Amino acid sequence: MTDAPLSQVAAVSGVVTTPASARSGRRRHRRLVGLVVPLLLLLGWQLSWELELRPRSILPSPHQVLTAADAFFFGTNNVTLSGIVPFKGAAWLHISASVERCLSTWVLAVGVGLVLGLGLGLSRWVADLLEPVTNALRAVPLFAWLPLAAVQFGIGERPARILIFIGALWPVVVATTDSVARVPRIHVETARMLGTPRSRLWRRVYLPSALPEIVTGLRLSLTLAWTCVIVGELLGVSRGIGAMMIAAREAGATEQIIVGVLLFATIGYAGDRLLRLMARPLVRWGDA
Amino acid sequence: MTDEPRGLLVARGVRKSYADLLVLDGIDLQVSAGQTLALLGPSGCGKTTLLRVLAGLEPFDTGSVTVGGSPVEGPSPQRGIVAQAGTLFPWLTVSQNVGFGPRELGAADVRRTVADLLAVTGLTDFADALPRQLSGGMRQRASLAQVLANQPPLLLLDEPFGALDAQTRLRMHEWVRGLLAERPTNTILVTHDVDEALLLGDRLGLLSPRPSRVVSERELSFGADRGRHTLTDPAFVQLKASVLAEVLAA
Repeated sequence: MTDAPLSQVAAVSGVVTTPASARSGRRRHRRLVGLVVPLLLLLGWQLSWELELRPRSILPSPHQVLTAADAFFFGTNNVTLSGIVPFKGAAWLHISASVERCLSTWVLAVGVGLVLGLGLGLSRWVADLLEPVTNALRAVPLFAWLPLAAVQFGIGERPARILIFIGALWPVVVATTDSVARVPRIHVETARMLGTPRSRLWRRVYLPSALPEIVTGLRLSLTLAWTCVIVGELLGVSRGIGAMMIAAREAGATEQIIVGVLLFATIGYAGDRLLRLMARPLVRWGDA
Repeated sequence: MTDEPRGLLVARGVRKSYADLLVLDGIDLQVSAGQTLALLGPSGCGKTTLLRVLAGLEPFDTGSVTVGGSPVEGPSPQRGIVAQAGTLFPWLTVSQNVGFGPRELGAADVRRTVADLLAVTGLTDFADALPRQLSGGMRQRASLAQVLANQPPLLLLDEPFGALDAQTRLRMHEWVRGLLAERPTNTILVTHDVDEALLLGDRLGLLSPRPSRVVSERELSFGADRGRHTLTDPAFVQLKASVLAEVLAA
């Protein structure tokens, strides 16, 4: 065997690289483009307030919202809304309560969703047993669970978490079920041929092969869990951004409601970016 | 288990059908002693099905397949198969792919096995690359390294170079020929490429169109040092013409 043919073959690599400066320039440009719509919305909002298109009692100015946000984050904690929900200086109290409620419930939903999805995707027996029920249950709108949760568990923390759990569960189940069922047969056969016992296939083949789609499911699930926080916090909890917004509505403080909306948007966006960043090393092989 | 050699494959009267479609019609073959049996047949004759049956990846209807005296009843690290599409796991790096089998079997010194095979396959510099970052030829060499890492006594090659361009395919033929000379492994190669069969095989079996049978077998005696120069050897050219005529007449 000679080295010549080998070196000739080895010289071919499919990697196509783009200069780092060109990449960072493109990224900067994309970020600037992404600012256009928010700035236009801000301008439209300010103009609506100036022209009083809506009564100022229900449409505060951006400046009033900024002032409310300043009070929310940096005010002294001496004012409460509706008697029990603090606002001034209570930002971290509410944010941490909402984030903790969302994340801990989401982690639980992810665990259950992965196990259920793997079972449904890998076992015909489990699919026959559970698929009719799971398909019917995931068709139930989240708001339909609201009265039932309230009747069964009253108001407070538990029904709030149950709603978040239900909202976060189905995207994980669906993504996991579909993706493991579509794992190419050649991967499974290769693993078996290389000595992987059937009992280890889910860990060595199915899960890693399905991971890019599962991560997409996790992102959707986290977004839904976060949107469910506000629904859950309708059910009589006293800490959380949703609780603050409901109290603000009762007090007619629209600027505080808008602070809550902006916080939901910002934290939801940041959470999704963080999840993508954390998952990137695991799914980099799936990048086009 | 009998006293048959470790990698000796014996197939007797293997029949396989899909519903009413008979694909294999009583296949008889045998390979041992570090030999490469090249099975040549037209497209659609059931070559891949035959190799999958021999690998234990497909059940068969009647007949028997044994390796080293033990019946083939499912996939096993004793039979490594390399397919045209490659066998690499896209989420693992080249070195992780090569080390996959030894790790699954709890082999000692996996790192050394991987390093040796990467060196042999010329992929040391690409140990941390993902399969999608490799060229077609490199991917096939990595697939071979992955399969060889378990030191299977029987190697099954299913048109492994079919997706490569003509030049790369020729280089791969020379490389595999050298590799099999260095590490004698009982090998069955199925292909529809006459050059490939004659360059890589020690014996040549001709398969009929579907339903497939082995219609003839012959020894190939071009010596160990086969390569691009062999393609113009008068004996090679003459045999190629004769084999082609036989394939077309089948």
